[in-house]
Amino acid sequence: MLEFAEGNRASIVTVENLVKRFGHFTALNDVNLTVAVGEKIVLCGPSGSGKSTLIRCINHIEKHDAGRIVVDGIELSDRMTDVNGIRREVGMVFQSFNLFPHLSVVENCMLAPMKVRGLSRTDAHERAIGLLRKVRIHDQANKYPGQLSGGQQQRVAIARALCMQPKIMLFDEPTSALDPEMVKEVLDTIVELAKDGMTMVCVTHEMGFAREIADRVVFMDRGSIVEEADPETFFRAPRTERARDFLGQIIH
Amino acid sequence: MTSLDFSVVLQAWPYLWSGLLFSLALTAVAFVVGLVLGTCLALVQHFEVPVLGKLVRGYVALMRSIPLILVLFWFFFLVPIVLGHLGGSGRPVPIGATWTAFITFGLFEAAYYSEIIRVGLRAVNRGQFEACQALALSTFDTYRSVILPQVLRVASPIILSQTIILFQDTSLVYVLSLTDLLGAASKLAQLNGRLVEMYLVIAVVYLAISSAASQCVASLRKRYAIAGLRR
Repeated sequence: MLEFAEGNRASIVTVENLVKRFGHFTALNDVNLTVAVGEKIVLCGPSGSGKSTLIRCINHIEKHDAGRIVVDGIELSDRMTDVNGIRREVGMVFQSFNLFPHLSVVENCMLAPMKVRGLSRTDAHERAIGLLRKVRIHDQANKYPGQLSGGQQQRVAIARALCMQPKIMLFDEPTSALDPEMVKEVLDTIVELAKDGMTMVCVTHEMGFAREIADRVVFMDRGSIVEEADPETFFRAPRTERARDFLGQIIH
Repeated sequence: MTSLDFSVVLQAWPYLWSGLLFSLALTAVAFVVGLVLGTCLALVQHFEVPVLGKLVRGYVALMRSIPLILVLFWFFFLVPIVLGHLGGSGRPVPIGATWTAFITFGLFEAAYYSEIIRVGLRAVNRGQFEACQALALSTFDTYRSVILPQVLRVASPIILSQTIILFQDTSLVYVLSLTDLLGAASKLAQLNGRLVEMYLVIAVVYLAISSAASQCVASLRKRYAIAGLRR
């Protein structure tokens, strides 16, 4: 899906000295991160560490208070006039799916391509069915979200985001709201997407999944990035004590 | 008590029928105007538009505090005077009872529908808005294709209940000497003296229509509970 030039990876997201506050609470404190094209980053850390806030700043759902974010060459700012220009290229999958309940599965996937990318109904339908087939849910195309299980809904949400053909996908704890037996089907879908070369930043607690797909694991705690490493190093020999404590708590 | 003679009702049926059509027409127009205007009023408040938002808030509060019968009188007597001043002639511009009825009911119901929709807008899950943002949908498309359809579906039982009340309220055009169903029955009763039969029959008509609509309310409530439109 994406061109991958060895040793010459352009960065698609650059985060510099990012600060985000909610009232008196500082959620992100001087965060620096670069995401290269084709890279898969897993963000992990305890609750309240700022991981969700960070990815929500990348598509400007949260507006940062200081620092710089550059996405696909464009700087996000309060004064930007065309935030949707960026959002078209950044796909997002939410913890609570956020499917549109009054539209069928295929209509959920067709809406944005038609309204934003200007596709005709036929083309949008074709693209939607293609992507629903890819996430193995095209037989439910005419059902409504309320009739699907959590795992099915999340796969539809992934297809819906992919229908916009984004350059980067953001996953905000995609399996945290699912019953355990449905987690695998969603993770498998994301793994396949990763293997196709999609650039992604994924906030997750699923460490087995992180080990499998991540190029880099970024560990955050209390608003800062504490440790960054490739998965093998991070899981086998975490350098910082906080990372060691965190892994000790979640791997049991 | 003298025996009831419903044959007069049968004879008078064409006149009663035209009265009923007027009631239904007035309900339909007030429903459409009220819903469209009410949605606009709700959106102006929802977006907290400066100045206009406050004005709309005041208008809605006013319309919901004053009895409809008073609003009808105001409109009937005051608006011609206001128009006369605006037109510069100083003489009242008569707008007639029918126009008064249609305009007033539309404006009045708009206030009630706008409250229903405004509360409905606040109740929509924030995640829906965020999903629209993530998909780069414009504000217009967000509200037109995602938010308002959900609000209207979930609020449809309440909107329909309000419309049933509207239908019953159309009988108030009696004070403007317009001939709706009640007005027709009243005029006939004065002519043929059969008040009991007349009023009994139209009570049954009101009952039948309101009951049928209430059944729709119940099935709408059930439908939107099952389809998983909960938060």
